[in-house]
This record gives sequence, structure tokens and C-alpha cells, in this order.
Amino acid sequence: MPRGACPERHEILRYAQNDTKRRARNDKGMFFGSFQTAFRIVGEMPGNLREKIRKYLAKQAHLPSVGPVSIWTILFVIAPLGFILYFSFLTAGDFGRILPIFTLENYQALARPVVAEVFLRTLLFSLATTMICLLLGYPLAYFIVMYGGRWRIHLLLLVILPEWTSYLIRLYAIRMLSGRAGLINSALLSLGLISSPLGILYNPSAVVLTLVYGWLPLMVLPVYASLVGLNPSLLEASADLGATPFRRFFTVTLPLTKGGILAGIILVFIPCIGDWLVPLLMGGTKTFMAGNLVYLHFISAANIPAGSTIGVALTAIVLIIMYLCIKAGGKEATERII
Amino acid sequence: MKSLTGKTLLAIATLTYLFMWVPTIILIVFSFSNDKLGIRWEGFTLKWYAEIFNNAAVRNALEMSLIIAIITIVVSTVAGTVTAYGLYKYKFRGKEVIRMSLLLPIVMPYIVTAGALLIFFTRVVDIPLGYPSILIAHISFSTPLAVFIVLGRMQRIDWSLEEASMDLGAGRLTTWRRITLPLLMPAVIASAVLIFPWSFSDFTITFFVAGVGNTTLPIYVYSALRWGETAAVNAIGAIFVALPLIGLLLINFLQKKRVI
Repeated sequence: MPRGACPERHEILRYAQNDTKRRARNDKGMFFGSFQTAFRIVGEMPGNLREKIRKYLAKQAHLPSVGPVSIWTILFVIAPLGFILYFSFLTAGDFGRILPIFTLENYQALARPVVAEVFLRTLLFSLATTMICLLLGYPLAYFIVMYGGRWRIHLLLLVILPEWTSYLIRLYAIRMLSGRAGLINSALLSLGLISSPLGILYNPSAVVLTLVYGWLPLMVLPVYASLVGLNPSLLEASADLGATPFRRFFTVTLPLTKGGILAGIILVFIPCIGDWLVPLLMGGTKTFMAGNLVYLHFISAANIPAGSTIGVALTAIVLIIMYLCIKAGGKEATERII
Repeated sequence: MKSLTGKTLLAIATLTYLFMWVPTIILIVFSFSNDKLGIRWEGFTLKWYAEIFNNAAVRNALEMSLIIAIITIVVSTVAGTVTAYGLYKYKFRGKEVIRMSLLLPIVMPYIVTAGALLIFFTRVVDIPLGYPSILIAHISFSTPLAVFIVLGRMQRIDWSLEEASMDLGAGRLTTWRRITLPLLMPAVIASAVLIFPWSFSDFTITFFVAGVGNTTLPIYVYSALRWGETAAVNAIGAIFVALPLIGLLLINFLQKKRVI
């Protein structure tokens, strides 16, 4: 709170300070002394000051309800993020130690070809995944809204339910299907279509397809919501004015659902860019993404400054993408994220 | 659905649904297969489900996951409801800042949150890895969810009922207990039902902050996956797939009974 914003508060503080100084002479020990001082302050306070305290507390009526979670957020959400930002400027010592020596080397290391390649791959995979999710998810949402009829809610639930299942279990299911001894290979082998198992896993397209499998529901939901919110009379008007269904879709429906699309893009892109399980389980080292580097630095190599720097870079990318999408999509995109 | 557009849409939708569901359906089917590797059909059996309860490692992991999920649900829904009430009812400075910072755990990439928490717990403050660290992490990412779900409900309920109750002489607490809370109940239940799978099946963050020797069910599945011990994993997976369905049926049941 800036100085002078709440004059009562300063008066209270000044009064308390003077009083403490006065009482310090006949000190009775830290603890009891301060208690007695506190009681005396309240007891000897002039009436108008007591009134001011009451007013001040009345202004803070939100504190009991909002306070605890705010403190929790500062302690366990903002502070950890602040510390990785801080550590990203420090030097790594031996045995996982962090030396308090300022350096920009960690950030310079991001430009090294090995690391830059991983970041580029991460961006590319995430973009490809988001695009495929949009190309599959929009028609799906459109289908549910236009043709779902009384099954709409059930069809939508069929989209949401996988999202509530463990991500890891779903990855396991995909691997069971597509591994060397998996179902696809054994089916093709027994049908005689192939003579040796196909290597379906461990390549970029396996990673991207699995990412699509993982995050597609997050694209469908906001698009569905914005399609449902569409005013049907606008569509009728454009049809009355002679627009073909094709043109109507591109000049009316699509622009009006922009907010939902952008929210979907944010919702798919963010988990993709931080993913490390899919490259680990489906791709192998040749398809490692930035998330894998965070894991390697933090857990395997215990190089905390380097890991922190990659985390900070990932966060920066996410914030930039969010900013761009929210700016382009306005209030609707923001609301649909939640 | 006779038009060409309709047919194309139907085709895309069908394919997408198959893409989303075939792997998990096959997982469930094969959880009943007698095959040791869980990838071939060799006759019907329930032994993998029995294995979940007979295998001490699985049982302990299940227990740990359940304890964490239940504590997280209780703390997060209570804290979330109270916070949402404060955010909705009072005007104060810094309200937008609080809303934005509550969004942080939802929009941050999991791996960054996970890494940041691990470093914070081990290098900055000395919080033992295990139940304390996992609970702190889960509560941190679950509470915002509850806040936003309850806030959404608050925008739609009729607040004049609260005033009416106070006009008729009910105290603040009585009003909250008899009027406000019942009005918010659907959102509170919804957030509890949503937080359960979130906490129960979270892997990345739990894996980072769990420390050595603390195995939740997803961590058990992960090690089975990596070190190739797949026998009972299909059955565990089937349970994970069934859980949200059970939650959904529960909500449906409560709504029919008019509890919420």
C-alpha cells in the first residue's frame, strides 16, 4: 500500500511506536512486555483513534476470505517461480551446488545449436499438434452442435471423458497398440500384410500423433462452447441474403467463433510445449523436447541454473503465445480458457 | 445429414471418436486377458484385478494416491469456495492481481511447475519430500480450479435470497449455512468431482516432488511402463478409465435425488 493511502494506519503505527519507546525503559522481557504494551495501547487509545481502527478493519473485510489462499499462492506458486528465475542467473557448481555468482552464461547456452534445435523441435511439434487438433476438433465440435440433436451432451461427454482419465494411462494404451509386439503389428503380421514388425514408435510423427491424442479434447471444448453461443438468426440472415452454405461458414460462423478457436489454441499449445512424457515414451532421444531438458538438468545432471533457464524460457514462450491469442481473441478467448 | 457436408462431418467425427477411444477400449478388453504381457488374448480372467489387491506394492500406491486425493479435495474445495466468495463479494485493491495469480498454476507448463516446486522444496525451504510436498503441490494446482468453478456459479445465483434471509433476522453465519452454501453446493460438488481425477492421476508434478520411495499409483504405472512389468497395469489402467465415469454417474445420481 503506498504511503498516505490510508492515513489511519500511519497514525496507529506512529502511536504504537512512540508508546513502545516510552515503555521500553521499564522493560519486562520481550514476550510479556510486548503483550502488556499491546493491551495498554488499546486501553489508553483516544476514542477517535479506536474509531479509526474499527474503520480500517472494516475496509479489510475481504481479508479473512481472500487472505489465506493469497498467502498460499505467494508461498507455493509465485515464490518457486521467482526462485527459478533467480537461479537462472547463477552459476552451477560441482555436485549440484548453486554458486551465488551472477552470470548470463545459462541464457547464452540457449543459443547453442544442440539446445536451439530442441527448442525449435518443441515449437514445431507443438504447432503441428495444435493445427491437427484444430483441423479435427473444429469439425467434431461443429458436428456435435449441428447434428447432435438430443445426443449433444452425450457426444460432448465422450470427448471430455478421456481428458479426465490419467494421461499416463492413455499413453500406455497407445504404446500397447503400436509397439513392436503391439496389436497393430501383430494384426498386420497375422494378416500377412507385412513380413516384419513396423517401427511405428520412435519417430516425429508418432510424437505429434500421440500429442494430438492427448490434448484434442481441450480444442473441442471451447470451440463447442462458442458454437453453441452463436446466434442462429445471424446464420438465417446470411442465408436469406443469398450466401451459399460454404460462404456463410467462412464469413459468418468462422469469424464469430474466433474466440473459441484462440482459446483452444492456447489450451492445446501450452501443455504441448511443456510435454516430456510423450517424447520419452514414444519418441526416444532423437525427438526430445524442451521438457525433457528440464528433467535432465534438474534430476539427472543436477544442474539447477541450466534447468531453471530452460524453465524460464518455456514460461516466456507460453506467456507470449497467451498474450498474442488473448489480444487477437479479446475477452471471449480469456473467458473460454477457464 | 444427407448433404455432402453432413456426410463428411460424420466421417471426420466418427474417425476422431475412434481415434480417441479405441486405445482405451482395447486396454480395458485386454485387462481381462490371461496373457502375461497383456497384449494377446488368451482367455478371460479376473486375476489382474485380484492382483491389484494382492500385490502389496500396488495396494500401497493406491492407498497413497487415495489419501492424497481426499485431503486435496477437502482442502481445495473449502479454500476455493471461501476465496471465491471473497473475490465475488468484496471490492478491494489487488483483486485482479489475485485472479491472475490464481490462473498461474493452471496455465504454467506442468514441467516448469514441477521443477520449480522441487527446487523450492529442496534448495530454498526444507520441506520433506513425500506426503507434505505432494500435498502442497496438489493443493496449489487444485484450489484455483475450485475458485473458478465456484465463481462461475456465483455469477448465476440469486443473491437477493441472502438479503431476504438477513432481513428476516438470520445472522451472518446462519445465512451462510442455510442459504449461501446450499446455493453454491452444485459448484462445490462439481469442483470436488473434477479435482479428484486431477489429483489422483497427476503424474508429472507428483513424480518430481515425491522423492525416493514414495510411490503413488501413476508413479507405479510409470515404473512398470519403463522397466517392463506390465502384468497388472492393464487392470489399473481400466480403473483409471472408469473413475471419471463413476464420478459422472455420481453427479447424475445426486442431481436426480435433488441433493444438489
